[in-house]
Amino acid sequence: MSALLQYVISGLALGCTFALVGSGFVVIHRVTRVVNFAQGAFPVIAGLATASLLTRGLPHGAAELVAILLGGVIGLVVGVVAIGKPGTPPLASLVITLGLAIFAYAVEIIVWGDQPVSFPGLSGTVNVAGARIQQQYFLVIVVALVTFALLELFFGRTYLGKGLAACASNPYSARLVGISVTRMGLVAFALGGVLGGLAGVLVTPLQAVSFDSDVTLAINGFAAAIFGGLMRPMMALVGGLVLGVAEALVAGYYESAFQTEVALAIMLTLMVWQASRRSALEEA
Amino acid sequence: MNRPTFGYAVAALAAAASFAVPLMLDRSQLTIFILLGTAVIVTTGLSLLMGYAGQVSLGQGSFYAVGAYTAGLMAVHGLPTLLGLAAAPVLAAALAALVGVPLLRLRGHYLAFATLAVQLILLSLVGQFEFTGGDIGLRGIPQLGVGDATLIDPLAYAYVTLAAAALVLLVTRNLIKSRPGRGLRALASTEVAAESAGVPVGRYKLAVFSLSAAYAGLAGGIYAFYLGYISPGSFPVLLSVQFVVMAVVGGLGTVWGPVVGATLITLLVQALNSLGTMPGMPAYAPDVLSYAVYALLLILVLLFMPRGLLPSIGSRLEDRRAISPTRS
Repeated sequence: MSALLQYVISGLALGCTFALVGSGFVVIHRVTRVVNFAQGAFPVIAGLATASLLTRGLPHGAAELVAILLGGVIGLVVGVVAIGKPGTPPLASLVITLGLAIFAYAVEIIVWGDQPVSFPGLSGTVNVAGARIQQQYFLVIVVALVTFALLELFFGRTYLGKGLAACASNPYSARLVGISVTRMGLVAFALGGVLGGLAGVLVTPLQAVSFDSDVTLAINGFAAAIFGGLMRPMMALVGGLVLGVAEALVAGYYESAFQTEVALAIMLTLMVWQASRRSALEEA
Repeated sequence: MNRPTFGYAVAALAAAASFAVPLMLDRSQLTIFILLGTAVIVTTGLSLLMGYAGQVSLGQGSFYAVGAYTAGLMAVHGLPTLLGLAAAPVLAAALAALVGVPLLRLRGHYLAFATLAVQLILLSLVGQFEFTGGDIGLRGIPQLGVGDATLIDPLAYAYVTLAAAALVLLVTRNLIKSRPGRGLRALASTEVAAESAGVPVGRYKLAVFSLSAAYAGLAGGIYAFYLGYISPGSFPVLLSVQFVVMAVVGGLGTVWGPVVGATLITLLVQALNSLGTMPGMPAYAPDVLSYAVYALLLILVLLFMPRGLLPSIGSRLEDRRAISPTRS
């Protein structure tokens, strides 16, 4: 029983980080119709940067904040390259973000080397119904839930957020009322970078990251985002939690080598199922 | 010179050059030549898929792996090696046809992620199974040959690769010129219009997907026989990315684009590799340089020459010929 509880809570925490990466996919895709393959690079860079900043003597909190902002800046750069040039079709933007993800490898290896890096998070453990659970798991869950609540408020209540939502629902009429769709796209990329960075800062104490961790992070995040058809951030949270718990249970009771394959299989099934319910005209 | 004759002249020149070049290469250069040839074969299929069927595959490495493992496993179990080489593209195409039925309902970004997922699943399965040698891989794959006569000389492999590449290019050229080829071009621009004009969209997409997989499988078979050792680590996701870079840089949907793209990238990466392994360079230099080159070429070409090097340069030359007053 206590083992089950442990798996579920660690799964929920891991799922929250998937959801944060996934919400980055959603925020960017909604506004720009680009699936950002470099999404996995944001958490990796933020995680690596936090570790370096902490060893340089920056206190906890400040180091994380700087790393998250760094994620936002890199998101903006990715956005400028991917959609900054007018007339770049979405499929070209997709391959450009893939190129940027590979470019990030080169930069990450030069700056941080190719070995996995981690840093200590919250160190204590909590007793929950007989199960000893690291406090860091609870920190991840709380921060992610607060972030999603803020995200909802941002899209619903603020001027900028409403502008983003307007571009998402109809780019043409958004332009008619004077919203710059390209600028909103760049804002979306920066926000995606911040969300990815936050995920990286939270997950690195739990799992060491190295330059090529981005594939796993991106695949899991994308799988979470697929739950909402890449359009609804809240569904990415649901998707992330489902995936996280499913993977933790598979790893705990069956075989940890198949952890990612669970995410992949769920993602493929969902995508094919969603596609079979859309008509060709709707997609074109 | 009018266009078709010009094209044939270039093709003849390229053929003659690629026939003569292996004779002048040493052993390690021949290995590069063979890998280049297999890259041309895979990229030709991917270019067909991306350029004509308008689909991005980030999992071409998985079909390469299927071809390599098919050939390797059959040969290791004592079956004739030629049979293994013939089965490699067939099995790769069969797998593509199988996964293609559900996957090709997806388009664009979704398909790209799905093909990537297929490769990751395949690699992890290959790493788990006993009969594929697990993560350690498959060793001692015999040399390609008929009966007792086996190919040991890398030069012979160079010509086998060359013949395979020529076959693949010929099939591709004839396909593009044929009636199905025109149908494919129609479906690349708008599927709905192509469908209403009587192009069997679903069947054609599946056929091109399978054909591109067959090319990759053939290349994988040659690779397995030449190196004699394969493991899941031989087919990383980066390999699939590399094929995409070659296809995009060379020019999608052209016959010669993949040749140009693969040659350019292979030579560039080799040059940077020797630069990166020079004394005084850090240990990570070769990796970093090749990542940077893939990335920068991909991004720059997509932003500034979206049709790829070959078509962009070709049309620029044509413009110049068209406006020059000496030619009327």
